[in-house]
Amino acid sequence: MIRYLAAGAALLLAATAEAAPLAPGTYTVGFVSEVTGPVAFAGLSYLHGATLAAAEINDAFYLGSGVRIAVAEKNSGSDAARTIQDATQFIADRSVIAVTCCILSAVAASVKPITINAGMPLVIYGATMPGLPAPPLVYSMTVLPGPKDTATALAVAGAVKPKTVAYFLAADNDAFKGRMAATRTALEAAHVTTAGVVSVLTSDTDFTAAATQAMGMNPDAILIYTTQAPAVGIIAALRQRGYTATIVGNDVLSPVSVFRKLGPAVVGVPFPIGFSADLAATPAARDFVAAYTAQFKTAPDIYSAQGYEAIWFIAQGLKAAGGTPTRDSLAAALAAQKEVEHNVYGGEPIVGGQIDTTGTLIVAWSPDGRLVPWSGAP
Amino acid sequence: MANTLADLWEAYRSTLGFAIVNALFGLSTYAVLSVGILSFATVTYAAAGGFIGTQLALQLHWPTLLVLPAAAVAGAALAWLAALILLRLDSHWMALASLALVLLTRVVAINATGLTGGVSGLSVPLFVPFVVMPALLLIAVLLFWRLGASWYGIAARAVREDAVVAATIGIPARRIRMLAFVISGATGGAGGMALALMLHFLSPDTYFINVAFTMIAAVVLGGSYHWAGAIIGALVFTVLPVLAQAVLPAFEQVLNGVALLLIMIFLPRGLIDPRQWRLRRVRAR
Amino acid sequence: MALFADQLVNGCALGALYALFAIGFGLVFATLGILNAAHGTYASAAAIAAYFAVDALGVPFPLALLLGVAAAAVLALAVDQVAFQPLRAQGGGMLGALITSIAAWIVLDNLADDATGHQSLSFPLSSYPSGMIHLGAIAFARMQGWTILAMAAVTVAMHLLIRRSRFGAAMRAVGWNEAAAALSGVNPRAVVSATALLAGATSGLAGVLGAVLTQNVSYTLGEGLMLKGFAAVVVGGYDDVRGAAVAGVALGIIEVMTAQYLSSSLRDGITYALLLGFLLLRPRGLFGSAAFTRA
Repeated sequence: MIRYLAAGAALLLAATAEAAPLAPGTYTVGFVSEVTGPVAFAGLSYLHGATLAAAEINDAFYLGSGVRIAVAEKNSGSDAARTIQDATQFIADRSVIAVTCCILSAVAASVKPITINAGMPLVIYGATMPGLPAPPLVYSMTVLPGPKDTATALAVAGAVKPKTVAYFLAADNDAFKGRMAATRTALEAAHVTTAGVVSVLTSDTDFTAAATQAMGMNPDAILIYTTQAPAVGIIAALRQRGYTATIVGNDVLSPVSVFRKLGPAVVGVPFPIGFSADLAATPAARDFVAAYTAQFKTAPDIYSAQGYEAIWFIAQGLKAAGGTPTRDSLAAALAAQKEVEHNVYGGEPIVGGQIDTTGTLIVAWSPDGRLVPWSGAP
Repeated sequence: MANTLADLWEAYRSTLGFAIVNALFGLSTYAVLSVGILSFATVTYAAAGGFIGTQLALQLHWPTLLVLPAAAVAGAALAWLAALILLRLDSHWMALASLALVLLTRVVAINATGLTGGVSGLSVPLFVPFVVMPALLLIAVLLFWRLGASWYGIAARAVREDAVVAATIGIPARRIRMLAFVISGATGGAGGMALALMLHFLSPDTYFINVAFTMIAAVVLGGSYHWAGAIIGALVFTVLPVLAQAVLPAFEQVLNGVALLLIMIFLPRGLIDPRQWRLRRVRAR
Repeated sequence: MALFADQLVNGCALGALYALFAIGFGLVFATLGILNAAHGTYASAAAIAAYFAVDALGVPFPLALLLGVAAAAVLALAVDQVAFQPLRAQGGGMLGALITSIAAWIVLDNLADDATGHQSLSFPLSSYPSGMIHLGAIAFARMQGWTILAMAAVTVAMHLLIRRSRFGAAMRAVGWNEAAAALSGVNPRAVVSATALLAGATSGLAGVLGAVLTQNVSYTLGEGLMLKGFAAVVVGGYDDVRGAAVAGVALGIIEVMTAQYLSSSLRDGITYALLLGFLLLRPRGLFGSAAFTRA
């Protein structure tokens, strides 16, 4: 209780006064990475984005001279028990001032009570389950994808004018269930009939039968609300079986590995995206792409951007806290931030601990493997 | 100095907690292994204990300390049912059938939304003092220690060596095995609830193959001829990844596997081997 | 009706993968008494080897398939020598081998994940016979046809090998009682190695074909086959190749039809309930003989 009162007081202070310069020293952020395990493909991008952010912050003396930010990494392999152990080790380490973690929502939900209990600021870089953020201690750096999905579906429906659509749904993924339901409601309100829903499971590997089932419904368009591996498998199976009409994807199609794998099958499939290296519009975004590409020999994806933003957000909080920041004063300072100032999205407001971006960028892969604004053609 | 020790304790407390949970799972596996049965069904008992225990606390507002014995009872009851089915099969098939039970457990966990929260999972906002974990293990150890020295323990060893011979000298092999299942269920159920208290969040994947492999590995690693083996094995198997990460982060998983392989090859009877002790005692004489 | 027929072919092709996988898994279980958790990794390894043969070396697909199968066979033999042979020498039971197989599984899965750069790759469309075949109202992918044919051929060949040849008799003898087999002039070491090679090869075949059918070259390939292949072994009986084949195909069809006509959330439930039901009602599998005991 006292901690929250103190946090509240510090919040007032942070809001009213310009912060004092930070005491010299190194402030460590505990980064629970997922560079092995089921989502390692994204885990590496998050980690790379975070290390780049720390290097930039230090090189630019963003926190002041003699003040450095360090990223201490512990891999959890996306295992909940391992993540908790990593988090408690960070909590016990007095030099760690904040923890950032988690791609999988179930893992994030396991860690959250533990960091809250310990008064440790937690910035979740990848999990999208609604309700995770809880300021002043828990923040989410991933844009909630639901509204962007709905906006994309409506835009595509406006251009292609389908009468009936079929949906693919990852039935064992709560987040996608919600995303599909919202989109379906919006499309039905726009007089687009639902031909049917084909359920798949996230651990499925064979989608031939599911594709056959969806094509049997004769839809004018097919919308996919699944995690990456099924989405890729579904698109491949649909195209293989000769489906040529519109497919609407989601943000999981954005990494370049998806294009490398699917090639022509994914060209022209529209999906919403928060960040794309090919469409970097602001100077901050272009600098990020250049620096990232130079260091890691590959262009950053949306996951790199989220990892990058997580560290910049914490640095911004540190700077705002000023003096000799503690976990409490950092939490209070983070709660007072209205947006992430250094961002690659062209605007990144924070509402209730949850970041957002303005507008919806609808893109598709071009035949030569770049992300281009979706042309509107079916 | 005191500070560093306190920090060390804080840092590795949760590792110890998970080691204790794994030790309970290991003991549950040992309970049936000690009558010659390889069963993966501990995962199912753990799921029953974890989900039912959590719901008792959340829905009926039972005190958390009361929920642990309730989870043990739930596990024991389920194990008794499982035994009715599994004991009809012979050893190889029994192992396979118990594995099938584990697979079914996940299907039930996904579909029984009211009990398990389904795919959205179940938040477990329960906190207990850490001392509950070692206390729980202590109770289990006392139980296994007393049982090992009792008539049941002797009968169990006989059944493990040869059930037919055991039956001819008047040991009710089926009843002994039934009892072993119930003990396994109680330990597994309590372990499942303990895991829920450690994780604070249960998803359908919480109680699945990974738990089965962890516990079997713990028992075999530690030694399947003494209850202490399950505990030592669980400790080693929980700490190993933490160590591997400190030593060679890039290949930590591979290192885990290699360590497991080497231990099995060079210590096939596990780290705790009562036969070795006896042999040594004989040699010393 | 065309939809039903299409799905039937889909089910058969999927089931053929389960069957191929189950044949090798059952062979090892019956002959060597090992519940091999690493069996799926052979499939992944074969797919990865074949993928790199195609992608990096430009090897034609049929040759790459053979390369993949050979790689899986050699890997299975290596795993047997490293992880199982030392225990066999010490007379360790089923449990020890299960653990070492889990160890091998952890190691190989992680190496496979590293090999594909933590991603799922797929064979380029142009590298294999990728078109659709239209037979009347039925449409299926060319590779689906090849997969079903391959499964049928392997089943017949393996059945003849095990039931009709001297070598098969030796295998069955070793499976029943290794010491007794050795006394009657069988070289158990050779039989064990040959069994490992055969099991690896069938798993590898399932792996390469599965990688093409599901457009997935990664460690998840073997994991996906593992659980369903295991179900096929139990339903079909581990000591009979025909049983594993029939059960594998049946499981594939049931899975596809459940998803099409009932609900995909019931799909796995039905598979595993069937598995349990078979264990209780017919614990020796479809073609299992009641006389099979392990000393």
